[in-house]
Amino acid sequence: MSFALLLVPSLLSALLALVVRPYRAAVGWANAALSLVAVAGAITLWVRVLRGEVPVAGADGLLRADALSTLLALCVSGVAALAAWLGPGLGDDGWGARQARRFRIFANLFAFTMLFAVTTDNVGFMWVAIEATTITSAVLIPLHASKASVEASWKYVLIGSVGIALAFAGTVLAYFDFVTLIGREAVALNWTVLQDAAPALNPRVIRLAFVFILIGYGTKAGLAPMHTWLPDAHSEAPPALSAMMSGVLLAVALYAVVRWQAVVRVTVGTGFAEDVIVLLGVLSLAIGALSLVAQRSYKRLLAYSSIEHTGLICVGLALGPLGVFAAMLHLLNHSVAKSMMFLLAGRVLRRYGTAEIEGVSGLLRVMPWTGGFFAAGMLAVIGLPPFGMFVSEFALVRAGFAAGRPVLVAVVLMLLAVGFVGVLVHLNRMLYGRPPSTVTLGESSRWALVPLGGCLVALVVLGLTLPAAIDGLLVRIVAIVAP
Amino acid sequence: MESLFAQLVVLESSLVLIFGLVLLWRRRVPAYVSAFTWQSLVLGAVALTVGWFGRERELYFIGGLLVLVKGVAIPRLLGRMERRFASEREIAPYVNTATSLLVAGLLVLFGYAIMRPVVAASDLPTRAGMPLAMGLVLVSLFVVVSRKKALTQVVGFLMLENGIALLAILGTYGIPLIVELGVFLDALMGFLVMQIFVYRIHSTFETIDVDQLDRLRH
Repeated sequence: MSFALLLVPSLLSALLALVVRPYRAAVGWANAALSLVAVAGAITLWVRVLRGEVPVAGADGLLRADALSTLLALCVSGVAALAAWLGPGLGDDGWGARQARRFRIFANLFAFTMLFAVTTDNVGFMWVAIEATTITSAVLIPLHASKASVEASWKYVLIGSVGIALAFAGTVLAYFDFVTLIGREAVALNWTVLQDAAPALNPRVIRLAFVFILIGYGTKAGLAPMHTWLPDAHSEAPPALSAMMSGVLLAVALYAVVRWQAVVRVTVGTGFAEDVIVLLGVLSLAIGALSLVAQRSYKRLLAYSSIEHTGLICVGLALGPLGVFAAMLHLLNHSVAKSMMFLLAGRVLRRYGTAEIEGVSGLLRVMPWTGGFFAAGMLAVIGLPPFGMFVSEFALVRAGFAAGRPVLVAVVLMLLAVGFVGVLVHLNRMLYGRPPSTVTLGESSRWALVPLGGCLVALVVLGLTLPAAIDGLLVRIVAIVAP
Repeated sequence: MESLFAQLVVLESSLVLIFGLVLLWRRRVPAYVSAFTWQSLVLGAVALTVGWFGRERELYFIGGLLVLVKGVAIPRLLGRMERRFASEREIAPYVNTATSLLVAGLLVLFGYAIMRPVVAASDLPTRAGMPLAMGLVLVSLFVVVSRKKALTQVVGFLMLENGIALLAILGTYGIPLIVELGVFLDALMGFLVMQIFVYRIHSTFETIDVDQLDRLRH
């Protein structure tokens, strides 16, 4: 039942948008309402997991939601709802009916593939779903056809598909190992079965498999050096899609890495997977942070910040139980903060007509609320209190010391400081000064500020306390991933 | 019987790899399309061979699907694109032919090196072909990064998928059928989307040379 609530609404919305032509606003409203049903589905899973259940559905454990799946399901359904409410096709947002229809079809399919990827128990299906996310999201990047968006979508679809194909090669190698040592079984691709079989698997084969899997899913997660598609795709996509791609698609790809990491840790022992992950993590953090300084476009600034945070999450994954706790909290914070920021950036872009930082000035006078939220969000993203990311970054630093990696912690802090300064300089330029004479003053579509303000409130709450319901979920995740 | 099976599989796998190398020394797109077609047909034959000797009925189905989708349907669509962009040749790839072939040779050797633990772990008669499959995966990856025409990159990607399919057939006698169907669906959808984008690149940039895609460099 919970699974039906979670998965069916997005399919239904996509179908609705497909059959109703031409597009009508009613389709958008139905989509918006249904997106809340999916959130309700995720919440029922959450409640059941906190009660100690592990909800399962379908033949051969097709669907299974432990704490890790539930966290991701919450993030994905939440951000998808945000995109459904604020995406093209509701209110006066400058998109045409054809574009709105295309967005409603593919954004919902995109949400469905992500939700399915994190709730299926089968690694094969998970791969199929994550590959499908590339297809469903790529067609939406050039929603507004321009040379830049065509270029961005080509890079994304090619690099994403090749990367994910390598992850499949890794999956095949792992399955090969299972078949060779244990025998052919239809359920061999289930997480639960793999996890139980992990002690008996051949470490040398699994090591090779994991390298492929990490490069593959790492490409989708925007890990350096496979990140080159990300700044282009995230900055050229329509704002609601950028929110989904940056807020949760990266997290879904990381989810796949975390699941495999748990298997590899049992087969090979602690150390191998962690070393590779931390290497790519620090590299991503470095490239993300250093690129922040030199950016001229605020949308690319947000994209590079996503690479930085993905790197940070990876560093956390390598630091033992405390680190995994911090990483998962950071993943949650990043989903909320980055989806909000890309939607706000969309409002700024619409008003100023340029994505260049140079072209935006006096934001606080032009749109006081949007500007205020944007400033607060930026401060949250660079890890200032009282926002959630400060807490998760602090927890990560503590985990680093607890794991006896002071040098690693020093490098991470230094890179975070570089990104911090870089963002502040750009932010200052955008917020103050005289607005360009062509720009009209005052907010438009004010109601859209309500959900965005909700995100900000959530970030502050996560910065001040750690609600018991979230703490319980994270503790259970740590027990699964890093016992 | 066993040795015939092993020899046949190595022969077919070698052919699959060699068709992959065609992308490195030919310059014209029609040659790429026919190389891919032949590669897919031989891959289908591998599936049938393994299905016959290994007594896996499912592999007949997979083999049939491979021939239909990758040996017939996709080559047709590729052929249509190729006729449209007949004037576009891979004139100056990022890496020249001689170097490319040298790199490909090294990549195949590297494939053998990294697959040693895998081959050692297996006692299947098909195991000798697995490093060749890995070689194709690595060579195709190299094609995608070193070639400039969008169409060449698409063919490189399709060959990468063939390499992985070969790996799955040889190493595990095929992954579970239902997952395999999902993989096929993805492969087909992915190809269709790439095709749309190639046409779109052509209509926006008036070329399919991805070297021209340089607006987003920061």
